[in-house]
Amino acid sequence: MIIADRKPLEEIQDMVKECDKVMLVGCKGCVTVCNAGGLKEVQILASILRIARKKEGRPLEVEEKMLERQCDPEYIEQLRDSYDQYDAVLSMACGVGPQFLSEAYPSQRFFPTVNTKFMGGAVQHGIWEERCAGCGTCVIHLFDGLCPIARCSKSIQHGPCGGSADGKCEVSPEIECIWDSIVRKKMEQGRLDDLRKYREAKDWRTARDGGPRKSIREELVQ
Amino acid sequence: MEYVQRTLKELDIEPDRVQMYNLSSAQGPRFAEIATEMTEKVMEMGPSPMRPATC
Repeated sequence: MIIADRKPLEEIQDMVKECDKVMLVGCKGCVTVCNAGGLKEVQILASILRIARKKEGRPLEVEEKMLERQCDPEYIEQLRDSYDQYDAVLSMACGVGPQFLSEAYPSQRFFPTVNTKFMGGAVQHGIWEERCAGCGTCVIHLFDGLCPIARCSKSIQHGPCGGSADGKCEVSPEIECIWDSIVRKKMEQGRLDDLRKYREAKDWRTARDGGPRKSIREELVQ
Repeated sequence: MEYVQRTLKELDIEPDRVQMYNLSSAQGPRFAEIATEMTEKVMEMGPSPMRPATC
């Protein structure tokens, strides 16, 4: 899922410095799962903003709201009767949320309160790692289920660069060298020859490199 | 608790103003002890930054 982290408090406080009344909208999707923008996080951030402003002597009214998701118009619609009662609306959803909200309600200002980072999963409670770069042409089966596009710092597709040490990437000792893992797995499974097979160069047009993408399911379009 | 104290620190409020103690409802004297302890601690820290001086 999409992993995001809440922005530093200073940045958020700066966004609302001229406001007296704001609405903070959370999302029950990805940001709830990664504990960045769910119900609890909305309540906590709302409290923090109120406390900080009370301390300054300029109270801030913060209305808390949760939407099922902020990436579907039917949920965005739920704010139609209330969005304009505030000086600004803060969204705790991933980057998609504030954009959908802005499009639906052009007269209001929407601020993001999280930094959307990557597509990944939990490796441990509280720790999420990037697994997918959304390249649009998934071929992880060629690498025994380990994606070099997302997990190799250089997105190399033909083999290790030789810069790794003890299975760690030269970019940072905290990054696993995925090619080290891929080669080991291939060796264990007796499929090392797969890496010698000729493959055409990757078509990056299906990735972000080809421009903003669209996905259409013809049978669902009315 | 750590999270609350860290957040308070970010907001420029003394983190020691909030403490968590573990005791049972039968421990009356211990409760009184804790109350005294916290009161003394807070008195030392002075008025809370949440109460801006009005003059």
